[in-house]
Amino acid sequence: MLRRLGQLYMSLAAVVVALPVVIVCSAALNGGRTMYFPPENPTLDRFGEFFVSEPVWTQALGNSVIVALGAATLAVLLAWPIAYALWKTGARQSAMLAALGSIPFALPPIVFGVGLGFFWAFLGGLGSIWAGIVSHAVLFLALPLVTISIGLQAIDRAHLDAAATMGATEALTFRTIVLPQTLPYTISGFFFALVLSFNEFIVMFFVSASAFATVTLQIFNSLRNGYTPTMAVAAVAFIAVSVVVFSAVARWGDLPRLMGADQSRS
Amino acid sequence: MTVVGHIRPAADDAPPRPERAALRWRALGLAITLLLWTVVLVLCLVPLALVLVISVGQKVEGAGWEWGFTAENYIRFLVGAQWPAETTFLYLTQLYWSMRYAVVASVIAVVTALPFTYLMTRQSRRAQALWLVFLLATLSLSEVFIVMGWDIILSNNSGLPMLFAASGLTDWLKATGWFDVLRDWGLANPRNVKFKTSEFATVLTMSYLVWPYAVILLYPALSRLDPSLAEAARTMGARPWTVARTVILPAVRLPLLGAVLLLFVFLLGGYVAVTVFADPAKHTTAVSVYEHVRGSTLNAPFGAAQSVILLVTAAVFLVIGHRLSRTSRGGG
Repeated sequence: MLRRLGQLYMSLAAVVVALPVVIVCSAALNGGRTMYFPPENPTLDRFGEFFVSEPVWTQALGNSVIVALGAATLAVLLAWPIAYALWKTGARQSAMLAALGSIPFALPPIVFGVGLGFFWAFLGGLGSIWAGIVSHAVLFLALPLVTISIGLQAIDRAHLDAAATMGATEALTFRTIVLPQTLPYTISGFFFALVLSFNEFIVMFFVSASAFATVTLQIFNSLRNGYTPTMAVAAVAFIAVSVVVFSAVARWGDLPRLMGADQSRS
Repeated sequence: MTVVGHIRPAADDAPPRPERAALRWRALGLAITLLLWTVVLVLCLVPLALVLVISVGQKVEGAGWEWGFTAENYIRFLVGAQWPAETTFLYLTQLYWSMRYAVVASVIAVVTALPFTYLMTRQSRRAQALWLVFLLATLSLSEVFIVMGWDIILSNNSGLPMLFAASGLTDWLKATGWFDVLRDWGLANPRNVKFKTSEFATVLTMSYLVWPYAVILLYPALSRLDPSLAEAARTMGARPWTVARTVILPAVRLPLLGAVLLLFVFLLGGYVAVTVFADPAKHTTAVSVYEHVRGSTLNAPFGAAQSVILLVTAAVFLVIGHRLSRTSRGGG
């Protein structure tokens, strides 16, 4: 009885979580210019518009991809030495650096967005795409920082001791033990930052200053003129990217562990 | 001395190779450390410092703003621009709505996520991974897509209101008198139910937005919960509800509080859901920040002051939460 109730609750939750997503996705199939649910004259033309023929959307998509890839790469490159130093030395200053780097992610995003808007206005980077990349890298620095730290803690100390007794230098140990064992966690961190950057809206809104548009910005701009099925295609594309990325993380990384599950049970 | 140093044969004073390599490593490490500190300090703290500094600056009519040191923007937030001749609490009201939406939505999200997460952690590792992929995919979905989805579901000419009318549910509600109750709650117009604009739709969308976060925040604590405790209680004859109340809830009390606080801070700056679903009279501080920094009423210093107030509000709630968790830890 109770077990049934539990299953019912979980399925109900799944349905509610999936509901708006399913509706947006099916709206992408509409033949006309208006969003209907269920879709009228189902067609895949809107996908062509979004990915190929409409410059507004193809440009926005290009910007989104550049920003997300750039920001995720930069975030991982920044996070690696910070996490490594913290793990290696455990010094207070390393811990402080890691804490500082996590601040932007913990703030209400609109506050950091406003601050970055002022910041780039001073440096003259407002509205340039590299300012967007750096902004997102800082905003999502906390994610690779956390995943890489989890990965470093997962390294078996016995391997390191063995390497040390056999006379391996720090560089050699790093290359042969630390790097390979933490690679899945590094990639996970990269993907987390990538997907969140892809979907981020408010910080990019202040940093872009309407000089360029990512897909989420473009959708927000078009929001006032009502929805079109092409916008729904964007949603489909984004969900697809997220599902693929997180499935990859779950397949090659240890997703429950990354999310903080207990290790003793499986 | 330097000249001598130059002509000295290299083989003489060069340290043995490994030491030199170590030295080079250390120099490299130092350089990287310095670089990292600079980057993190500049990019994480300077933007916040700018918000703080500009919030005491002055607006220049038609030309942006200039440095200054005035409390004018904060006074305007508290009692309005015309004070002391005239007092309005417009901005305080907006802050009230910010907090109200954020509190209600984060509590709803955490309370509904708790049983779900508990049940999820009792499943196999593989099933857990599948659920996590599903949740992370919806979690990462942009606010604009989620608002779009709920907007289609809740808007008056499509979605639920149409379904209510077509299925005869509206007529049933009218016949039983519930329709008048819904009208009192602002969830119906004379002809049919309506969810836009309403507090209900705003809170629903906001709690939907953070629900996957709630699951992920509760997940570590619940997955570390020793299942043998609950089993022991059950074999000793405790009813399921008693087990939940006396074994599970006390163990996750602190993570629960922490999750509510984090989601609250996140939702405090929520923007898209409020602009789409909330009545303009019930808009929040975040909307006002946007209006003043980027929107029609350009006044960057006042926008900055409102951001600072949002930050202070978040900090106050976090401190209260910290106190609460400490006293409850001391008491339990």
